[in-house]
Amino acid sequence: MSLDNLDTDPKVAFMTRAIDMGWIGCHTCGTVHEGDQTHCRTCSAQLHSRLPNSLQQTWAWLITGALFLIPANMLPLLSNLVLGHNEGHTIAEGIAIFFQTGDYFVAIVILVASLLIPFSKIFVIAILVLSIQFRWQLDNKTRLLLYEFVEFIGRWSMIDVFVVALLAGLVKLGAVISILPGTGAICFALSVIFTMIAALRIDSKTIWDAHPKDTIE
Amino acid sequence: MTDHDNDTYRAQFDQDPDSLIACPACDTLHKAVPVQAGHIARCTQCHFKLMDPKPDTLTRTVALSITASILMVTMLCFPFLTISQAGLTGEVSMLEIIFDLSHGWYNILAVLVAAFVLALPIVRMIALIYVMWPLHQGRPPPAAARQVFLFAEKLNPWAMTEIFIVGTVVALIKMMGLATIGFGIAFWLFCGLVVVIALKNAAVCRWTIWTLIRKSPL
Ligand SMILES: [Zn+2]
Ligand SMILES: [Zn+2]
Repeated sequence: MSLDNLDTDPKVAFMTRAIDMGWIGCHTCGTVHEGDQTHCRTCSAQLHSRLPNSLQQTWAWLITGALFLIPANMLPLLSNLVLGHNEGHTIAEGIAIFFQTGDYFVAIVILVASLLIPFSKIFVIAILVLSIQFRWQLDNKTRLLLYEFVEFIGRWSMIDVFVVALLAGLVKLGAVISILPGTGAICFALSVIFTMIAALRIDSKTIWDAHPKDTIE
Repeated sequence: MTDHDNDTYRAQFDQDPDSLIACPACDTLHKAVPVQAGHIARCTQCHFKLMDPKPDTLTRTVALSITASILMVTMLCFPFLTISQAGLTGEVSMLEIIFDLSHGWYNILAVLVAAFVLALPIVRMIALIYVMWPLHQGRPPPAAARQVFLFAEKLNPWAMTEIFIVGTVVALIKMMGLATIGFGIAFWLFCGLVVVIALKNAAVCRWTIWTLIRKSPL
């Protein structure tokens, strides 16, 4: 064990946090400062014991992201003009088409990346923020899992945006087919970006503030 | 919590504030005792990776960042996808795909792809080279090392090369019925790029870099 926590028994004892000592721990690099410092001496980041207005900002970005997800699912993601037939389809219709034609790999990738991840991410961020805001008796381990889910999984929703961009980029090659990105694709991309910002606005330190005795050991 | 613990932390802080580290994810205080290269020190409260020094972290990061930048620039010069359909064949590079998108509303898509797939990854590589090259040469960190490395850290979630590769595969399968699409040289260079970027990110121990930067005057 090379990192010494000076508390006697980490499993039972209250873990001393920087805030308990009147100090500020940098959110980027962890350098410990006196409470009156404004910028980190190591990494130059602005110092805050806890990010100011973290919850309000998370809510604002999250609601914007959720609002954009509605047109993203109603409007066509893509319009295919194949030999003159317009075959525009939404995200859900696209998934159905691939299940019908037997392309299960594509169907499942799009189902996970474009439907499951975006919706569950918004739901999970909301649960996380509510649990911090109202100090719900949700154990820290669960909240940490939720936090890691939104941090690492959310970016993968961009898959479908890249797919649409690539398909549209192939337009000039085919005289017969022409594929145009639909407005749904743009709403979807914006929704993914706004929810990513919402996740970044969460101050993970506040996850541990409500029940500091509850460690994940 | 006892007063004794607080006194110990206070004494440690008064002696050398840099010998303490507050977990960036949960604020728990730890005494920072450097670990051996190849070992990982995690937060006792939340298991956040506090230190994971690598052998030759500077050499490896600089070498991999340079390799990745070269791959990126080379990749732009070659066709990314080839298409043949009804007797016609053609090929497109990444830049052509982006430029074809840039009209009207689709400009937003063009900007997103250009930024997340090309621009931000390359800016991050250049930032890492700027910070680490002098350190690697045994010189003091450059004047803006703090701000530049901080910026590179903040860029990390927005660099999406690996996601783009999965998107390419999905796009190809989607198109299979309509035209025959093949991979161009740039696609394979891009796959190499994704691997090199992953290795590069794994070679960076942020704690090691911050400790080196801290020694430079503000
Ligand atoms: Zn800092
Ligand atoms: Zn921690």
